[in-house]
Amino acid sequence: MSAAPIKIAIRGLTKSFGEKHILRALDLDVRAGESLVVIGASGTGKSVLLKNIVGILTPDSGSIKIDGEEVVGVTGHARDRVNRKLGMLFQGAALFDSLPLWENVAFSLMSAHRIGRPEARKVAMECLKQVGLQKENAGRFPADISVGAQKRVGLARAIASEPEILFFDEPTTGIDPVMGDVIDGLIVKCVKELGATALTITHDMESARRIGDRVAMIYEGKIVWVGDVDRIDSSDNEYVDQFINGSIDGPMSALIAGNEGR
Amino acid sequence: MRLLQAIGSVFLNFLTSTGRLALFTGLSVSHIVRPPFYPRLLLRQIIDIGYYSLPVVGLTAVFTGMVLALQSYSGFARFNAESAIATVVVLSITRELAPVLAGLMVAGRIGAAMAAEIGTMRVTEQIDALSTLSTNPYKYLVAPRLLAGFIMLPCCVLVADIIGVFGGYLISVHKLGFNPAVYLKNTWQFLEVIDVVSGLVKAGVFGFLIALMGCYHGYHSRGGAQGVGSATTNAVVSASILILASNYLITEAFFAQ
Repeated sequence: MSAAPIKIAIRGLTKSFGEKHILRALDLDVRAGESLVVIGASGTGKSVLLKNIVGILTPDSGSIKIDGEEVVGVTGHARDRVNRKLGMLFQGAALFDSLPLWENVAFSLMSAHRIGRPEARKVAMECLKQVGLQKENAGRFPADISVGAQKRVGLARAIASEPEILFFDEPTTGIDPVMGDVIDGLIVKCVKELGATALTITHDMESARRIGDRVAMIYEGKIVWVGDVDRIDSSDNEYVDQFINGSIDGPMSALIAGNEGR
Repeated sequence: MRLLQAIGSVFLNFLTSTGRLALFTGLSVSHIVRPPFYPRLLLRQIIDIGYYSLPVVGLTAVFTGMVLALQSYSGFARFNAESAIATVVVLSITRELAPVLAGLMVAGRIGAAMAAEIGTMRVTEQIDALSTLSTNPYKYLVAPRLLAGFIMLPCCVLVADIIGVFGGYLISVHKLGFNPAVYLKNTWQFLEVIDVVSGLVKAGVFGFLIALMGCYHGYHSRGGAQGVGSATTNAVVSASILILASNYLITEAFFAQ
């Protein structure tokens, strides 16, 4: 595993919103073909990290390289070319309300890859089947289906263009544990079938254990621990220990108090 | 000192907003002319803005024409100038009332809907999702709306011109006892091409401004349902103000001696 090349290399990533410093010179490597899970409490910068990588946010400073190519500050067609390698499942699925499910899944095929509607529809139906949705649902709209089903469609959309890198933003948030297990299983299956590199952010430890090959812990905008998922219970890192045990007492108590005070 | 600070802060905010709007406009317009194009989305916006606005624009025009005929009659009868009513109705409708009232009605209907739709897409991360799917949100969401607004409001106003004049005709002939042939002759006699064209130019500008305000405020909305609500209000208010202000400037450009 350690011989695998670095797919995503992040160095000195810094992002602030006004006086609030979210990411503070964060460094992180994601190897090709691995599934890395970033865990951390709410408000520690997990989502901001992800949004900087996929280009939704622009970092204040630092470097993000995908396949050795710098993507910070890259815009227009060059950014689109990078984004064609990526697929993302958003926390709330972020399906397009105005489009039926199959068009949501086929969106990037038709819009970015300029594939014709009949062909794109065929691929979309296949992806929907892959995530366990019947073809009768393909013509329904996002508002007509459950949150769990929306996540499945979001996953189908993320894998439709067979991306090299998949991002999952809190994939199990807002759904029941059984559905969470199903979504995690689908994520593992899809990532394996595609042979993709995966980066997931979550604060759900069950989910992190199911999805991840490696785990990174983020705290106050920095990675404070990285290791294989089976080493997490013996990490000897006080932040990781407090987080996985859900303890109030520990080095993150100040952050917890701060979050409560908001 | 605090007063100066407050004034400075307001001024800086104004400059920031103006600059952000200018950038937004420039970027959006550039995407209208650069491929790829989305004809299906443009057609949908054309139907939304043009076809579905016709009932409200038509109703506004017909009642405006009727009221104008009645008001003109009660005023002009005082100095025996009733024969000028047809001319007053057609000039008022084509030059001013049809474009401005249609613009204000469409601002309420379409500007609000655009801001709400795009604002909801913003707060539910659908716009972020567009970016990750290699689709430029300006090209996909904003450009078709701006183009459709620019094309379709003049079409609506042309229909409003005809319906408004017809409203004036109805009242003048059936209520005030005018001779139909004479009324129509008076309507045509003093109408010039510039009267209709100036109204259509205004409508094109208003349509663009309505779509621009709807998209701009929706695109920059923040903070959930409350943010979307504010975006909707701001879109309608700013579009209405811009319609009234630009109406003066275009009138000055066309008709100032």
